[in-house]
Amino acid sequence: MEPIAVVGMAVLLPGAPDLDTYWRNLREGVDAISVAPVDRWAPELYRPHARASDPEAIYCRRGGFVDEFAEIDAASFGIMPTSVEGTEPDQLIALRVAAAAIADSGGEARLPDRDRIGVVLGRGGYLTPGVARLNQRVRTVHQLVRTLGELVPDLGADQLDRVRSAFTAQLGPSRPEAAIGLVPNLAASRIANRLDLRGPAYTVDAACASSLIAVDQAVAELASRRCDLMLAGGVHHCHDVTLWSVFAQLGALSPSERSRPFDRDADGILIGEGTGMIVLKRHADALRDDDRVYALIRGTGVSSDGRGASLMVPDPGGQVRAIRQAWQRAELDPTEPDALGLLEAHGTATPAGDAAELETLAEVFGPGERAVIGSVKSMIGHTMPAAGIASLIKAALAVHHGVLPPTLHCDDPHPRIADTRFRPIDTAEDWPGAGPRRAGVNAFGFGGVNAHVLLEAAPSSPANVAVVEPEQVLLLGADRPADLIALLDNDDATVRRLTTVDGPSRLAVVDPTPKRLALARRAVANGKSWRGRNDVWWYPTPLAGKTAFVFPGLEAEFAPGGTADVPIGDIGRHGLGVVRLGMLLDANLRRLGIVPDGVAGHSVGEWTAMITSGIYRQDAIDEFLTAFDPDALHVPELAFAAIGTSADRVREALGDHPEVVLSHDNAPNQSMVCGPPARVEEFVTMLRAQRVMCQVLPFQSGFHTPMLAPYLDPIRRSAAEFDLREPTLPIWSATTASPYPADIDAVRELFVRHLLEPVRFRALIEAMYADGYRVFVQAGVGQLTSLIGDTLHESDHLAVAASSSQRDERAQLRRVTAAVWAAGRDRPKQARSVRLNLGGGAPIHLDAPTRNELRALVGAGKKSALDSLAARSPIAEELRSLITETEDAVASLLTARHRESVLRVSTETMPYLLDHCFFKQRADWPDDADRWPVVPATTVIEHLVGFAEQTVPGAVAIEVDDVVLNRWITAIPAVDIPVAVQPVERGQVRVRLGHYAGATITLAKVHPSAGKPWPIPAGERVPDVTGPQLYTDRWMFHGPRFQGVTELTGIGERHVRAVLTTPPAPGALLDNVGQVFGYWVMATLPERTVVFPMHLGTIRFHGPRPAPGTRVDCSVRITSVTDTTVVADAQLSIDGRLWAEFTDWTDRRFDSNPDTVAVERTPERATLSRPRPGGWVLLREYWSDVASRELIMRNHLGSAEREDYERSPLRGRRHWLLGRIAAKDAARTWLWEHGSGPLFPAEVGIGNAENGRPFVYGVPDDHLPALDISLAHTADLAVAMARPAGDGAGIDIEEVTERSPGAVFVALGDAERALFRTLAPKTLWFTRFWAAKEAAAKADGTGLDGAPRRFRVTAAQDDHIDITVDDRTRRVECTTVEHGGRTFVVAWTQNKESQ
Amino acid sequence: MSSPELAVDEQAVLDDLTRMIAIVLEDIGPLDAEITPDTTFRDDLDLESIDLVALGGLLGEQYGDRVNFAEFVADLDLEEIIALTVGDLVDYVLASLRAED
Repeated sequence: MEPIAVVGMAVLLPGAPDLDTYWRNLREGVDAISVAPVDRWAPELYRPHARASDPEAIYCRRGGFVDEFAEIDAASFGIMPTSVEGTEPDQLIALRVAAAAIADSGGEARLPDRDRIGVVLGRGGYLTPGVARLNQRVRTVHQLVRTLGELVPDLGADQLDRVRSAFTAQLGPSRPEAAIGLVPNLAASRIANRLDLRGPAYTVDAACASSLIAVDQAVAELASRRCDLMLAGGVHHCHDVTLWSVFAQLGALSPSERSRPFDRDADGILIGEGTGMIVLKRHADALRDDDRVYALIRGTGVSSDGRGASLMVPDPGGQVRAIRQAWQRAELDPTEPDALGLLEAHGTATPAGDAAELETLAEVFGPGERAVIGSVKSMIGHTMPAAGIASLIKAALAVHHGVLPPTLHCDDPHPRIADTRFRPIDTAEDWPGAGPRRAGVNAFGFGGVNAHVLLEAAPSSPANVAVVEPEQVLLLGADRPADLIALLDNDDATVRRLTTVDGPSRLAVVDPTPKRLALARRAVANGKSWRGRNDVWWYPTPLAGKTAFVFPGLEAEFAPGGTADVPIGDIGRHGLGVVRLGMLLDANLRRLGIVPDGVAGHSVGEWTAMITSGIYRQDAIDEFLTAFDPDALHVPELAFAAIGTSADRVREALGDHPEVVLSHDNAPNQSMVCGPPARVEEFVTMLRAQRVMCQVLPFQSGFHTPMLAPYLDPIRRSAAEFDLREPTLPIWSATTASPYPADIDAVRELFVRHLLEPVRFRALIEAMYADGYRVFVQAGVGQLTSLIGDTLHESDHLAVAASSSQRDERAQLRRVTAAVWAAGRDRPKQARSVRLNLGGGAPIHLDAPTRNELRALVGAGKKSALDSLAARSPIAEELRSLITETEDAVASLLTARHRESVLRVSTETMPYLLDHCFFKQRADWPDDADRWPVVPATTVIEHLVGFAEQTVPGAVAIEVDDVVLNRWITAIPAVDIPVAVQPVERGQVRVRLGHYAGATITLAKVHPSAGKPWPIPAGERVPDVTGPQLYTDRWMFHGPRFQGVTELTGIGERHVRAVLTTPPAPGALLDNVGQVFGYWVMATLPERTVVFPMHLGTIRFHGPRPAPGTRVDCSVRITSVTDTTVVADAQLSIDGRLWAEFTDWTDRRFDSNPDTVAVERTPERATLSRPRPGGWVLLREYWSDVASRELIMRNHLGSAEREDYERSPLRGRRHWLLGRIAAKDAARTWLWEHGSGPLFPAEVGIGNAENGRPFVYGVPDDHLPALDISLAHTADLAVAMARPAGDGAGIDIEEVTERSPGAVFVALGDAERALFRTLAPKTLWFTRFWAAKEAAAKADGTGLDGAPRRFRVTAAQDDHIDITVDDRTRRVECTTVEHGGRTFVVAWTQNKESQ
Repeated sequence: MSSPELAVDEQAVLDDLTRMIAIVLEDIGPLDAEITPDTTFRDDLDLESIDLVALGGLLGEQYGDRVNFAEFVADLDLEEIIALTVGDLVDYVLASLRAED
């Protein structure tokens, strides 16, 4: 068949709001599966152990969801936001994705004739949210009222009507006009309608094969030449409980709640949702139009199983036919050795489905060169009719980028994979081989319909379609800055994915690049507000106060938007443009919901302020602006200059320049003067000589000076023609620095003064601040924001520009809305996005007043049948009291609303914490803080559970969810942490420990029964270490009260097993699970093996906590490994019965590598620095993130030094620490070489004398011999050396880089230069000279002190340089160090004895 | 600093400028490592003209009369000021200091 080109693509899938994110997730293997949001279906239907015995029980609640991304910019598609609620959400999502796909193909401008564009979408006939809600309104209400009437025959029609209307009211207003939205084919028709596409538009339903059949149809439309461009794809947004129930009844959902395609233990599907679309053209047309081509569709095949199988059991025969058909159409042989590199399988992870598909693949592709098999369902779940397009887009991206993406959770591949040529991969790989990259895509539907699409890389394709995605705006709020810090303490990708969180402490970042995020982290950590530099805004608390619009006047950088080039010097046109832009922005800002409390202006901008204040009639303004003749404006030819200093200083300087006057007092550091051009030039020249920055402006007039007086009449006349009314907003005058007067005549008088007197903008802003204005929005282009920033520098405020010559208007308004939000205002009506409600048909909860009213109405609260039984039956009596008790408990829980108490964390209240110290110190070390006792995460959890259980007497915690661990809780100094317990819903409470940690805890009367522990996985070996060795060999830092791992039983590729003996300390048993998990990490991963718990998904308990000493079997299964995290599930069993289950235990990985392990385990005998020949040490910065650096810091510094560290400025802290550690290591290395025993880093203190010279001292007492020490650092390297006191130690490290001739001249005297001229290469030698001088000067204790020539180079060899100072000569040794592709010279002074 | 240190090479001047930029940016601007000769005042650091006034003041404190930032920018038009890089300023400072020697 004729090749068809994929020229555009777009998705909205779990974890991926757009194509770029989707590809990133695919490449990095992101697991986008999560727990079903509560509004999808009632959580009480989740019964994890029920399986198929109860058709109503859904035993799986994990799947793929897109709620966070489900919104639409309705207005931009011409849809009334109010009609969104009644429209089937998938239609709107389809519209959004279709528009994105067209944008990705180059935008509407590149579309062919719209009569020749069609849409084919795969979509099933499911009970989608809109239908479910309609069903609720129509059928459920009717059923409810009828049943109620049958049960309580006393109720009259009025009463039943009241119930009906109360119930319907909870569903929201009825929108008859929206019902049409429920017609399923509208998913395609709405796209055609809104995007004006006039070819065929329809949906197709072939169950899970729908999308690929839609593609097959689209290909046919192109081949027949009825259409020239086709949109094809699939849409599925239905998580209705009926769908889940069907799959649960079929036993098709995964009981392990994980999608593991082609794993030996794959046990079923997870339901996903999503939409994907591709834009297709004939390849010849795409070539002609110079389109970017992701991939070519070379063949499509479609078949049915016929009688070959039952409706639900797939038939390899039918699948084989579909695949062969596609390859035949491509005239390619699937059995060729290099036929394909990737097979994106249907891969649902059901045992029958996987087995049938593997049989098919073995038959069609036979043996041959190894190719990769994958299934995106492992990451996003099964998206049903959209499954095929999710797979096709994945394969097209893979072909396009030449990268083979991974498949998750295929830990132990299915035995029948061995019969095929395919292999699964768990990390991305480059696409090997030189031949054309080909990928096959399968989608097989229920009922026996099969489809296959064969993709091939385009021969060569321009990658030049510029697709402009809107910038991301990150909005994060929190209760307190500390919480915000915790949110930001994640890798950038995670931070960028955080959805808007609200709270009084707010951060906004537009286009959050790594640099901006780094800046944001520093700004938040610093504590002071950050007001917009680099598009970062942060306010620790809301900025309460008024908002002003300030309108700029004529500014040098003004570029009138949209109009033809207007010379800046053309005052009339320029001024007109400024006023018009101001009015436009005023309207746009108000539309976004940003409304001023007052207005002001700078120079001509004050006129704009008057106009927008409503003081003039709008029609009069329009008339004036239309009739205004810019050329009729006559002003004197006087020059302005901006002067970078205060008005006071300018006035002083003006003394000798009588013809020049001060025209503007703009800000503490900016004024303006005006006068005849030559005089202004003289004035400016004089000031520049005094180092004052000055800029003559490119326009002339005499505004705001008495020199305008002769020209005033025409302006005054036209102003007088305007009627004045009372303004709707206060206008602030920059002439008087106060609000405009109320009196009309006074206003006219002020209008004239404004033209003749200086602009006092600084005083104006100060007065407005004093009046309570805090937010200043600059409605125009210019520098008012920096003038305001300069004036209010010390006072908290926000000044933000709504227009900029740097950016288009939408981008700039995006910044305004972000800034205003950060300052604590309501979120502006950003981008008109409307959220889509994807929940449908979830049970309706009556609100309390309605419930009480209806209860009274239907007579509830009367004696129940149980009550009357209780009188006769003791069993009924017991049951009744149990129910009452539970209800009471729950009721008290719900009415408790909020409980607060305090947890004191200290080594007195929790002495066992001394066995949970991160760092080792000398046995008799006086300061336990240096050991850093920290509350283990699991102890935190035990405490959270304890607090939860206290709220309902007799209740036990059966499940712990969503454990968040924000920060370490350190026990020294003691800290009192507020505990808040908040009921969430029936039987659930959320417990929070200050901003440190929190969890949701489910309470019940009894523990639920447990399933069976996992079987022992295959391929296990005996670990290299025993349980006790974990502690004796310092694999773990834990002391006796936390040492519960008594036996390491077995370890495998993705699991580890152990036996624990329950230790006595609270939380210690759970901590031991973490230790076993941590052992797997250390024994298995090559680096970054320092791990600490960060998050725990779920813990389920099936019995009471075991007594200390109880033997517990522990089994840990690793589920995911990334650069930053490792995730595992775990089980604890006692006597073969499951006691506790852990899901998604996530450990964060910190920097460590084989070179640092020794220091982590035995810091008293090891150094991070490496000794070098010549008696010095070299340290490179192994750690890359701040969190890792903190750990390294605490392992090396004692308390006094830690205080120094905290006091050192944030910038430079890195190097400070690097130098410190190198110096300690140098000293300790020297001491060890001279007979010292073990020495902890904290025992060797490094201080700085007043002249900056470092010295060594013993901690806690002076137990060290006197030493001279020297250190130096550059980039991420530090060097240090120690010598006996008096020898003089000097060391320096410098990078070999190009230096200017000036530097050589300054550094070297005549004789040195003569020597230097004989040496090559110059850069190396100059660096050697310089480093040697530094080293010698340090050894002297003086430093270069600004006189490098004093330290003369008198001899130079490759490995040493002689430095002579005042007739004393010192030999300095040199060597080079290669690091990170750069070369460094290290120079150090020789030992005295060897000189 | 009343007796300015002899700024000797590009790195030293760059270090000085980095320190001054940090002051202008209230100590939470870019990390040292992020400031290179290619860093632009406008696009990378988001400095505005009033910030350049502050920077000019700091240059004066550091180098005295030998380095006149006001004269330097007087020779530039607006576009050039916007496009200024840290490296341009380093070159200017070095040239000024050299002219004095």
